[in-house]
Amino acid sequence: MARDHDAARTGSSVDGAPLLRVRNLAVRLGGTEIVRHADLDLHRGQLVAVVGPNGAGKSTIVRAASGLLRPAAGTAEWDGTDVRRVGARRLARIRAFVPQRPQVPAGITAHEAVTIGRSAHVGALRRPGAADRAAVDRALERAAAGDLAERQLVTLSGGELQRVQLAVGLAQGAPALIADEPTSALDLGATATMARLLRSLADDGLGILLVVHDLALACAIADTVVVVEDGRTVAAGPPVEVLSTERLATTWRVDAALRTDDAGRTALHVGWLGALDDAPGRPLG
Amino acid sequence: MTLRQAAVLGTAAVVLVIAALASISLGSTTIPLRDVFDALPVVGGGGVDRATDQIINGLRIPRTVTAILVGAALGIAGALLQGALANPLASPDVVGVTAGAGFGAMLLLLAAPGAIALVPLSALFFGLVATALVFTVAWAGRGGGSIARLILAGIAVSAVFTAGTTALMTAYPDRVSSAIFFVAGYLSYDGWRVLQDVWPYLAVGFVAAAFLIRPLDRLALGDDVAQSLGVRPRLVRLVAAGVAALLAAAAAALAGLLGFLGLVVPHAVRLAGGTASHRFVVPTSAVAGAALLLVADTTARRVAAPLDLPVGPFMVVLGVPLFLWLLRKAV
Repeated sequence: MARDHDAARTGSSVDGAPLLRVRNLAVRLGGTEIVRHADLDLHRGQLVAVVGPNGAGKSTIVRAASGLLRPAAGTAEWDGTDVRRVGARRLARIRAFVPQRPQVPAGITAHEAVTIGRSAHVGALRRPGAADRAAVDRALERAAAGDLAERQLVTLSGGELQRVQLAVGLAQGAPALIADEPTSALDLGATATMARLLRSLADDGLGILLVVHDLALACAIADTVVVVEDGRTVAAGPPVEVLSTERLATTWRVDAALRTDDAGRTALHVGWLGALDDAPGRPLG
Repeated sequence: MTLRQAAVLGTAAVVLVIAALASISLGSTTIPLRDVFDALPVVGGGGVDRATDQIINGLRIPRTVTAILVGAALGIAGALLQGALANPLASPDVVGVTAGAGFGAMLLLLAAPGAIALVPLSALFFGLVATALVFTVAWAGRGGGSIARLILAGIAVSAVFTAGTTALMTAYPDRVSSAIFFVAGYLSYDGWRVLQDVWPYLAVGFVAAAFLIRPLDRLALGDDVAQSLGVRPRLVRLVAAGVAALLAAAAAALAGLLGFLGLVVPHAVRLAGGTASHRFVVPTSAVAGAALLLVADTTARRVAAPLDLPVGPFMVVLGVPLFLWLLRKAV
C-alpha cells in the first residue's frame, strides 16, 4: 500500500524549499552535549523518521528543532526563519508537537483538549468562533477520534489517547507535525492505526517528523529515515537504502536485516541470540 | 459551557445575590428588604432615615462588598495555584503567603498594638515578602521553576514565618487573644477604610487572572503541549503563582487567614461542574467563593447576635459538609 505513494514522495513538493531545515545543530542539557551535529530536512508532504539507539539524541534533536529546547549551536529554520526568532504564536501555527508521554489531566474531555489545541488561533480573552469549532471537529475526525469527543481523557486507552493527542496537534492547523515516539506504548493494532493515520496525513501534504524506535515501522511509512548515533546524524535517505545490514550492525550492534515484500510489508529479521546465519531453524527470506 | 456547568455557575450566582441581600438586611438589627432597596445608592438613596442609611451604606454594604471580594480573590487564587502547580493540594499556603501575612499581622497586633490600623497593610506586605522569598529560592539557578522546588521552598519559608509568629506569641502571651480574630478569619464593620488601600492589588489580580485562564488550560495538557501551543510553562507558573499570592495577600489584609476557602472552593466547583477547564473553574470559583463567604458571614453575625463571631469557623462548618458530599458523589 505504502508503495503507491512513491510518486508523491519524490514529487515536486520535495524539490522545493524545505519546511524545516536543520543544520549543524548542537544541544547541551545540564552541561552535557547531547546533540553534537545534526542535519535534517523536512518537506511538505514528506514523512521523515528519526531513528537510532536509545540515548542517541533523537528526541533532543526534534525538541530543539520544534523550539522546545534551546540549541547551543547551529540552526533550525522554519520557512527560512531561525526557530529562536519565530514568535511563540506564529510557531504554534507552523508546527505542532505531539509529546511522547502526554499528561492526562482529570476532568478534561477529548473535545476540550482539542479545543485547547486550537487556542493559538483564538485571540486573548476571546471565545473560539465557528471556524475554530469546525477546525476542532475536523481535527477529531481526521485523527479517527470523533467518537471519543465527549469522553474524559482519563478513561481513554493508550491508543485512543494517542489519537486524541494527534487531534490536539492537528487542531493547531500547522503544516508540520512532530511526534516523539507516537507508537512506543501502543499494541500492534493501535500502532497500525497510528501508522496509517500519519502516512495519510503526509499524503495530504503535511510535513511529518517522527522519532521512531520500530525500524520495520519506519521502513514501511517513512519517505526518509535519518539515523542518529551518539548525538550525530550519520545517514539520511530512503529507508531500504539507509537501513542496510551494515548500518544495523554498526549503529545498533545487532545482526539484523530489513526485508520488504512486493505488497509493502516490512519485517526486521533479528539474530536475537547471535548471528543471523548461525541461528537454528528454517532459513529466513 | 455545558448545561450542567451553566447550572452550577447560575446556582452559585443566585446564592450570591440572595446572600448579599441577606447580608445587608440581617444583622444585630433586621432591616426590611424594602428599606434596603430604598437606601441603595444606585436608586438615589435617602429613602430611609439617617440611622438606617448609616447602617446600610456605612456598615453593611462595605462589609458585604469586602466579603464578596475576599471570597472571589481566594477562590481565584486557589484555582490559579492548583492549575499552575498541577497539584490538587495547592492553596495560597504553599507559596508562603499565608504564613507571611499571619506574621505581618501578628507583628503589629502583638508587638505594636498602638498601630493596629496598619495591620492589613502589614499582612499584605509580609505576605508578598514571603512569596518573593519563595520565588527567589524556587526560580534561581539551574533547574529553577520546577513544581517540587516551588512547593518545598514554600514549606521552608512558611516554617520561618510561622516560627516568627510563634516567637511573637511567646514574647507577648497576654496579647494573643487580640489576634484570634485575624487567625480565625473575620469580617468587620470597618467601612471602606481597608478596601481603599487594598483594592488596586485586587484589581490587578482579577484582571491578570482573566488573562491566565487560557495559558493554564494549555499547561493542563503538559509542558510539551503547552510549549507546542506557544506557552512558556515556567513563566506561566511563575505569573500564576504570583497573581494568586497577590490576591491571597490582599484577602488576608481584608479578612485574616481564610486559606481553607482557596483550597476547597475550586475543588467543589470542578466536582460540581464535571470539568477542570479553567474557563469554567476560575470564574465559577470566584462566584462560589464569594457566595460561601457571604453565607458564612451572615450566619456568623446571626448565630450569637449581637455577638459578631469570626467567619472562618462558620465557613468551614458550612463548606466542609457540602464539599464532602460532592467528593462522595464524584467517585
